[in-house]
Amino acid sequence: MEPVLTRRVGKPNSRAIDGYVADGGYAALRKVLGGWTPEQTTEEVKKSGLRGRGGAGFPTGVKWGFVPKDTKGKPVYLLCNADESEPGTFKDRLLMEDDPHQLIEGMVISSYALKCRTAYIYIRGEFYLGARVLEKAVEEAYAEGFLGENILGSGYSLDITVHRGAGAYICGEETGLIESLEGKRGQPRIKPPFPAVSGVFNAPTIVNNVETLCCVPHIINRGAEWFAKIGRNEKNTGPKLYCISGHVNRPGVYEAAMGLQLKDLIFGDAYARGMTGGKKIKAVIPGGASANMLTAPEIEDCPLDFDGVAAKGSMLGSAAIIVMNEDTCIVDAARNLSKFFSHESCGQCTPCREGTPWLYKVLDRIEEGEGRVEDVDLLARICNQMANGMTICVFSDAAIAPPLSSVTKFRDEYMHHVQKKTCLVGRKALVTA
Amino acid sequence: MSHTRYRVEDAGEPRVFPPEAMARIQKILSRYPTKQAALLPVLWVAQETWGWISREAAEEVARILDLPASHVDGVLTFYTMYNLRPVGRHLLQVCTSISCHLAGAEGLIEQCRARLGIGLEETTRDGKFSLVEVECIAGCDRAPSMMVNDTYHEPMDETKLGELLDRLGREA
Amino acid sequence: MSANPPKPPAAPAPPPAPAGPPKDTFTVVFDGQPIEVPKHLNLIEAAKLAGIDIPHFCFHPRLSVVGQCRMCLVEIEGVPKIQAACTTPLKDGLSVKTTTDKVKTGRAATMEFLLINHPLDCPICDQAGECTLQDNSFGYGNQLSQFDETKRQYPGFDRTLLGPHVIADMTRCIQCTRCIRFCHEIAGTSELTFLDRGGRTLVWTHDGKPLANDWSGCAADVCPVGALTTREFRFRKRVWYLNKTRSVCPGCNVGCNTSIETKEEIVYRFLPRLNPAVNDYWLCDHGRFLAESLNLRDVHKATIRTGTSVQDAHVPAAIERIAQEIRRTVEQTGPSGLFFLGSAHLSNEENFLLRKIADHLACPNRDVVVDKSRTRKIKSQKEWVEGDEAAPNFRGAKEMGLAPGRGGYGLDAVLSGKAAPECVLIADAGFGTAGDDADKVALLRRARFVATAARTANALTRAADVVLPAASLAEKEGTFTNVQDRVQKFERAFLPRPPVRAHWDLLLMLAIALGWGDRNWTPADLLKQIAAEVEGYGDVREEELEGGTLLKKGDFAWAGQP
Repeated sequence: MEPVLTRRVGKPNSRAIDGYVADGGYAALRKVLGGWTPEQTTEEVKKSGLRGRGGAGFPTGVKWGFVPKDTKGKPVYLLCNADESEPGTFKDRLLMEDDPHQLIEGMVISSYALKCRTAYIYIRGEFYLGARVLEKAVEEAYAEGFLGENILGSGYSLDITVHRGAGAYICGEETGLIESLEGKRGQPRIKPPFPAVSGVFNAPTIVNNVETLCCVPHIINRGAEWFAKIGRNEKNTGPKLYCISGHVNRPGVYEAAMGLQLKDLIFGDAYARGMTGGKKIKAVIPGGASANMLTAPEIEDCPLDFDGVAAKGSMLGSAAIIVMNEDTCIVDAARNLSKFFSHESCGQCTPCREGTPWLYKVLDRIEEGEGRVEDVDLLARICNQMANGMTICVFSDAAIAPPLSSVTKFRDEYMHHVQKKTCLVGRKALVTA
Repeated sequence: MSHTRYRVEDAGEPRVFPPEAMARIQKILSRYPTKQAALLPVLWVAQETWGWISREAAEEVARILDLPASHVDGVLTFYTMYNLRPVGRHLLQVCTSISCHLAGAEGLIEQCRARLGIGLEETTRDGKFSLVEVECIAGCDRAPSMMVNDTYHEPMDETKLGELLDRLGREA
Repeated sequence: MSANPPKPPAAPAPPPAPAGPPKDTFTVVFDGQPIEVPKHLNLIEAAKLAGIDIPHFCFHPRLSVVGQCRMCLVEIEGVPKIQAACTTPLKDGLSVKTTTDKVKTGRAATMEFLLINHPLDCPICDQAGECTLQDNSFGYGNQLSQFDETKRQYPGFDRTLLGPHVIADMTRCIQCTRCIRFCHEIAGTSELTFLDRGGRTLVWTHDGKPLANDWSGCAADVCPVGALTTREFRFRKRVWYLNKTRSVCPGCNVGCNTSIETKEEIVYRFLPRLNPAVNDYWLCDHGRFLAESLNLRDVHKATIRTGTSVQDAHVPAAIERIAQEIRRTVEQTGPSGLFFLGSAHLSNEENFLLRKIADHLACPNRDVVVDKSRTRKIKSQKEWVEGDEAAPNFRGAKEMGLAPGRGGYGLDAVLSGKAAPECVLIADAGFGTAGDDADKVALLRRARFVATAARTANALTRAADVVLPAASLAEKEGTFTNVQDRVQKFERAFLPRPPVRAHWDLLLMLAIALGWGDRNWTPADLLKQIAAEVEGYGDVREEELEGGTLLKKGDFAWAGQP
């Protein structure tokens, strides 16, 4: 597939507006503002089958449709979720640093569809460069009449503000993001009400991921049908960015049609080109830290799309594929991931606040050779007590994925740790230098 | 894991935003329908102005935005990037999340510790370096990844880190 | 759905159901039993109406709903995942299950998570006995814990004064945020906040500044565990030994409903007692911490002064002495030589008795006064209620008729010398600051005879000819009329130790000695007489006396927090 979202990545001066316009940029915006109605725009996105690229995979057009027809005088807000923090994920960073205008154009079109006059890009604090690039791009867009009052003489007006986070994974959860944007601790909200009805500043709000919004200009330019034809089936459409990291020869962001085979991504010449040193695969995380691990046999015939990975009992999530080779200690990997979730829990709900550090402590003990046989079942029990409605948001459900999937699928390795007090891979892999 | 963010330290002197910072704050305020929404950006202005956020700075931000000081504290301590005490000129942020961990990121931390004689969340006596561990900074394809202040250094290895520390150490 | 549905054809259609007023209730099904509940209730409150307790920590009927503690888990029909009851909106036909295995497992899980880092210091924790964590652990937890790690502690944040009244032991905190929300949403002072996040989350103030709002004791009240306790009550008594008595705060004319908590004739504390129309679940620090002052007593016996010598006397003898002086005055100068002073600290019944004595003697010289205080406020369910008097019952005392009658005079006239009564009866020596003002007492003392009743000594008791030993608020029953004109009953926690008697008892004895009244009357009988005679008191309802719409099914505990 010829690259769509990344077609300008790596081009000299890919950030500047003149280059973007020369490459056909802002044509989709002209098209929409040249006579499309907002409803027509939403309909086109619906028809494309575009599903959110942030992790949940909710159909974007359907989400837009949840904004009430009558907002009772309240404005509608569009928030771009650029809080890319899921371990293993680095696609939005690339899109923002290398082609900021693609995102801005996507936001202006989406805002038009939502009848939104104020939009924010919530970008994680660590993306200093991304924020600077976007700020400059926003300035350029204002100067060229793609933003601000009366865009391209259409009578439609929109303001975009780049808003920086300050170090909190949970702000990638859409209501955590909303709270954070309002100047609060990023503690996810109780739903209902859903943001589309009452979100930021108590007004209807749509939160969309960077990659999702970047798809929009292409859907407009080339048509929903074109978009819908890319991909494995009608429920998993469009081009997709895959982030692959870990023990592979060529980690990176790869664009492919939705539904790329996981094995192709790992071994394909156009992609990661196989395992470093020709080692065997032990486990693959297919969708960021929150996704269940897959074993080597499970990656056979695993199309990387929402339904394909779900069929394997995991999830596509943010399409962050983390590959671990045979030398990896699975307990150590689970410990590392649990440390992340323990560090990032917002702390409001009891099971998550108390459960995430507990999981880390137990895993740490096991890895340090102080585990007991009953710890293996204890891990599973703690995990099962944290999920499925036990908390306000799904962070807790995500946090149990690494320990629960690893303890289920690599039980022998856990048992080895607690019985022999040593590591199955023969060394305390990568714990200390 | 043992580092807590409970104390907002005293600067020991009043914190008043210089005029250009105030102008930035006014501009920020114009972008939001509530003053409170400007809190994170204004805290960033404070951190850029003084390098860290003291009790006095938090109180000044609270005053400007009409917020209880306790609310500012709550926000300040929730987000890990706000410095609650002065940090060195070069803030070494080493990612230890999964992909960097698989690439041996802890080795980089050990190297920094040994070389600089400081632990995590500590600053060298000459005020040049501070060392912190951070969660995934989206540099997984160039693991192990780290940042010095606002700049990525990736992929990092022992030799490159040694050279980097040499170079930064020589800077004034 | 069309905005204007077409009119149904007139002839064949069945008669439409009578269009009554729109229903203001929802039908909610709890464990199979349907019940009508008011629309505005939270699901936890609605369940209470159905007689079902849903355990909770963070939910409080007057604070915003945060859904954080995850204790109030229930199953909702048609929803696959377990749900927090407090965050589930009520709607018609909602079917709630509270006893399924899934619910039990979920609640036990939350209990386990809450307990893994909670210190096992119950034996030395002052919340023991009224600890929601203990209660819910007993009711919904599993007995075993597999937690074998180091428990979280908050070094430096334990056994620490958080403000003038509240002591913090944050290691016990379960992060329910009730105290934070109380200070932000009710007090409006926002001293408290969450600091840090995740398992490290700590509740504290900005820069360690004191938690010093006017209602700081309520932060300890709403705390479901022993993380916040009051300095004044801490370690004074295990709460299960305390008796609770319905009372009314004597601190000002707002008349907050309280529970006086006592053991063996000692008052240990006041707690707010739910009355949505007055103080709701709250009580101000000023009133709350008056509790211990009820234990003060200087006047243990009746005394009679003869010249410069003061002798102990039996109460009946002292009463007879007062009666003699009154009769003598009436004989020598007529009733205009008498002066009766009531008190804003005394009940309606007591002030009523005093006025009836004056009536009986045809004396128009009667009065009551009150000291002004700074404005004190409490948040009722709907609005702030304010009072600015330093006593609970000035309004009631006046309404009982304690104002100069035709041709009579009041306290001002006595103190300014315009009137010179021969015989002065001051029902309560602590009627106001004037009672301890040597100059004013000297002016009162110009009378030939001065009698009073008292619990604590002051300039007036030292100057009076007869002093009667009188009961404290905890030792008697009666009613006060508050700033909103609500007549509120307080009950007796324990009997005064003889020879101390309640003011009403002493006044009734005097009335009988003067030839009026019935020895069998109780304050309840007097209240009936008041209802019959005093304007505005004829229609006082039982709910008003008891404290609003209390003690009906669905209300949370009348003392203590829900």
